Amino acid sequence: MFLALKEMRHSKTRFVMIGIILVLVSWLVFILSGLGNGLAALAASTFKNMDADYVVFEKGSNASMGKSLLSGDLTAELLALPDVEAASPMGIIFGSAVRESGDPEEFKLDIALVGIEPGSFLEPAAAEGTGLDAGRPTHVLANESMKDEGFKPGDTFALDGTTEKLTIAGFVRDQTYNHIASVFIPIETWRKLAFAAPGSDKGLKDPVNAIMLQGKNIDPNAIAERLPGTETVTRAQAVQGISGYKEETGTIFMMLGFLFVISAFIVGVFFYVLTMQKSNQFGIMKAIGAKNGFLGKAVISQVFILSLASIAVGILLTCGTAAVLPKGMPFRLETSWVIVYSLVLLAIALLSSLVSVRTVVKIDPLKALGRVE
Amino acid sequence: MTQGLEMRSVSKFYDAGSERITALDRVSIRVEPGEFVAVVGPSGSGKTTFLSIAGALLKPSEGEVLLNGKNIASLPDKQLSDIRLREVGFIMQASNLVPYLNVLEQLLVVKRMTGKVTPADKAFAAELLADLGLAERMKHYPEELSGGEKQRVAIARALMNDPGIILADEPTASLDTRRAHEVVSLIARAVKSRRKAAVMVTHDERLLSYCDRICRMEDGKLSPMEPAAGSVLS
Repeated sequence: MFLALKEMRHSKTRFVMIGIILVLVSWLVFILSGLGNGLAALAASTFKNMDADYVVFEKGSNASMGKSLLSGDLTAELLALPDVEAASPMGIIFGSAVRESGDPEEFKLDIALVGIEPGSFLEPAAAEGTGLDAGRPTHVLANESMKDEGFKPGDTFALDGTTEKLTIAGFVRDQTYNHIASVFIPIETWRKLAFAAPGSDKGLKDPVNAIMLQGKNIDPNAIAERLPGTETVTRAQAVQGISGYKEETGTIFMMLGFLFVISAFIVGVFFYVLTMQKSNQFGIMKAIGAKNGFLGKAVISQVFILSLASIAVGILLTCGTAAVLPKGMPFRLETSWVIVYSLVLLAIALLSSLVSVRTVVKIDPLKALGRVE
Repeated sequence: MTQGLEMRSVSKFYDAGSERITALDRVSIRVEPGEFVAVVGPSGSGKTTFLSIAGALLKPSEGEVLLNGKNIASLPDKQLSDIRLREVGFIMQASNLVPYLNVLEQLLVVKRMTGKVTPADKAFAAELLADLGLAERMKHYPEELSGGEKQRVAIARALMNDPGIILADEPTASLDTRRAHEVVSLIARAVKSRRKAAVMVTHDERLLSYCDRICRMEDGKLSPMEPAAGSVLS
């Protein structure tokens, strides 16, 4: 630690320069992770925040809501199966909300209409206003982001292309699907909207897209056996089935992966070159009795101090960035991920410094005498 | 137990292709505490190999090297670095100081290698530096020191761990005559007052008058040499 700090103080410029690179890398890592989180939430928060463990889809639908159609009658059959603690049907369609204000610009907002049974475990708690009520089939729960578009509790909006009008009973938090606001509506109303065209329900009784299950010990294979024509997946698998979700998060993770590799090489190469430059100096210290451990510790603690400081600055800059990003930007920084990525960056830096430590170990103290015979 | 440095018919061979080069050929020498011995000889004669073996930097091919009565000829590398740290003080060619440490820290880092630095160590370092006329320069960095001052710091550093022997490798190589005299006289004085066994390898014949004995190295063989008649003593 002593040697490490002394040297860093003495040659500030070179350490500040490499520090700046590390700050930029960690800054980018945190921004990407925030963006990745934000995008993933935007794409699937309705699914992720649901209090369900498994999802039953139609066989062959690849865990995609859009491709799956089941009869609501299955709900009762599923409930009768062992390990199933609760079951509730759900359906999703997309639509456009048209504000009832004689708006000359004909303002339209894309929304995802999520049909659920009022009062079931699928209904999120209202952050404002009231929840769903089977007695009020056109009262809905909308995502908070609609407030930014000027909607208020009690507002009524029309659905583009239908004669249906919906009233906002309350707002819920963090409910989006496929990057647009989710609007929870009673499943009966949802069916009317979803299967307005004759024959679109394929003749199924009380059709729904999927049935959500609660129960930690559910065996998906057993359900497939008992109810042919269904496939049961975990909620996480269902999230992966949302169209575009894998591609989106995959891109972000690939970039993060590259950044980690890049930071490993930056630290590794910088300290390797530095060590080579100082090999004479290390030789002298070895000649006067310094052990490999003593010098190795100096190198590692230098890497540690530098990475720690750079990551800390990176976190501060990220917080600053988060503060100035526009509100609509899908950016969500989660403390747990910031900690995880910080530790990963730190671990990578320390690992890559081992190359330099190996070089130090190999330096011959005879170098100090200036001429190896 | 014998104190100081003793080498008993030490040889060092190198393999260069099919040839076997004898860098040291059955060298024997004994240096008592308080004795200052000079080793002179042309370059390539084996002086550096001799010093490296005496200083536990290199293992001999044959023979015994006794530091304060302990044979170090066959110790593993780890213990050799410990011997260097505790028993040997090196004074190397000009300016082999750590560039980012000030004069006081150059000395204290030696203590850090063994563990903690105590207030007593700091006092001892300050005393050594004062002794060598560096009291005013304690907070200076090597780049701010003259060549002579750097070598005086190196002398202080060599004495810091209170080693049994002092080895100097061409300590005046980059100094002018006046500074060379100053540095070697300081080494001689420290060797006498602190009772160290000291060996200086040099080709600078002007400085031999400070030494008690002079040995000549030629083709790996070490032989005693009479002090030059009429050499000037300061």
